[in-house]
Amino acid sequence: MTDPPDPEATPEHVRNVEKTLTAALKTRPLKKESLERIHAAVEAEWLAAIGAPKHRSVRPRFVRWALYGIAASLLAVLIAFRVTAPSVQGANFGSISRLAAVGLDVRSGFFQHRAVRVGDALRVGDQFTAPGAMLITFDRGGSLRVATGSRLSIATATRLSLENGLIYVDVPESVPNPLRVSTTVGDIEHIGTEFEVMSDGQGVRIRVREGRIRFTGKTTTLAAGEGTELLAMPGGGVTQRSVDSYGRDWLWLAELAPDYEIEGRPLIDFLQWASRELGRHLDFADARSRQIAEHTILHGSVRGQLPVDALSHVLTTTSLAYEIRNETIWVHTGT
Amino acid sequence: MYEADRALVARMCAGEQPAFNEFFNALAPRLVAFLARRSRLDPASLEDVVQCALIKAVRNLAQYRGEAALLTWLTEICRHELADVHRKAARQPVHVSLDETAVKAALQLQLRAPEHQEPVAELQSASQLASIVRVLDDLPEPYAQVLEAKYGDGMSVEEMAQQLGLTAISVQSLLARAREAFRKLWTARMLGADPVRLRS
Repeated sequence: MTDPPDPEATPEHVRNVEKTLTAALKTRPLKKESLERIHAAVEAEWLAAIGAPKHRSVRPRFVRWALYGIAASLLAVLIAFRVTAPSVQGANFGSISRLAAVGLDVRSGFFQHRAVRVGDALRVGDQFTAPGAMLITFDRGGSLRVATGSRLSIATATRLSLENGLIYVDVPESVPNPLRVSTTVGDIEHIGTEFEVMSDGQGVRIRVREGRIRFTGKTTTLAAGEGTELLAMPGGGVTQRSVDSYGRDWLWLAELAPDYEIEGRPLIDFLQWASRELGRHLDFADARSRQIAEHTILHGSVRGQLPVDALSHVLTTTSLAYEIRNETIWVHTGT
Repeated sequence: MYEADRALVARMCAGEQPAFNEFFNALAPRLVAFLARRSRLDPASLEDVVQCALIKAVRNLAQYRGEAALLTWLTEICRHELADVHRKAARQPVHVSLDETAVKAALQLQLRAPEHQEPVAELQSASQLASIVRVLDDLPEPYAQVLEAKYGDGMSVEEMAQQLGLTAISVQSLLARAREAFRKLWTARMLGADPVRLRS
């Protein structure tokens, strides 16, 4: 049972092993509420497995009646809470169109907790931390892309809070009620735009890719247009600078781009979608290439392709070609 | 062997609430840590896997015969649950772009929350953690358990002694042997030597 002594084992070796193991094996424990949820679920199964009556202890009658009374009161309070707030809880916010994780754990208030997957709706009152990159689409039009680890809570059908993380809002101008994003340092509202918000729980970075947004902070209200970055700090200070609407900083959005259905659509519509997704302007070399784009009707599908791949694949089936020139996608005839 | 574990399970089967609480409080956090070391699941998925494993365990308590430690029995259930999760994830369709190398590399950097939530250091240490866990998994079960309990779960020698039904001196001796076995196998792996599986 005892290993033979090893001449190589020195106190320094032991310290090194201890250091290696301690550094590698420490893990972050689950939150208390997560363990409580597991406890409740497992306990319920255990009681069912052993037969609950065995578990019931004998208590004096008055204690039992007191417990029944407390339980009834709690139930009444819970029902009253649910009845007084039916219009807010449960209103539809959007649907999950893509999720790079097995499922999403969503909490609603103190009592509700559910697992949702692709195709399921998110509702007003929901709070969640994105376990993987996700795309949420709105019934009224537009979409929201969420980076892994972002913490969000949905306050109303048109308002959400970003506690931490990175999101990208894309809502067309035609949508009547703009989406409002609340952060620790202020609110962002827009009229028809694409913008990105990143929060580290204290400061916030906003990048406007298209259209205009209005930022309302503790001491400042200011508007920002396409190609602008705002940095809002906890103390109320806001700095502003220009940013490109294309390039590496926006690449995280490509994999979350909503699918574009090309079947039966004019080529020019597809080109406009692709250029918008890539953050670039669409330009034609001449009137003839524009005319071809307007009159070409597409067939097939580019589902699941990144916008840049879709652009390349679609144009190879036409007589048009493209070049990317800084902020412009330049479409021309010939090769 | 494992009389304490058998007795605990027997009390649970008899419907004793304190036994259930003891079982849950002692083992659930350690299962969470066990899985966290062997996967890169997010907290919500980790919660799901541990919950499923514990539910399966309490449904099948009668099958536990005390031939291995209760923790070992539970970790085996966890391993199966984790394998299921990976199998399901592998069945998800994956779209592969034709000229994606650069895009993908950039996305791996970009598609995540701010750096303090997902630090680069964490990604870099992931492969080392995987190697260490592989070494632990190849050690005899009691060695791996005491090392994880001591250096991962932060248990004291006295706590381990109580849980294993041993004296503190025996646990210290076991720990020393476990550290040495780990050191030998880890060194062999680092030097690229043929790994020796110590676990049968």
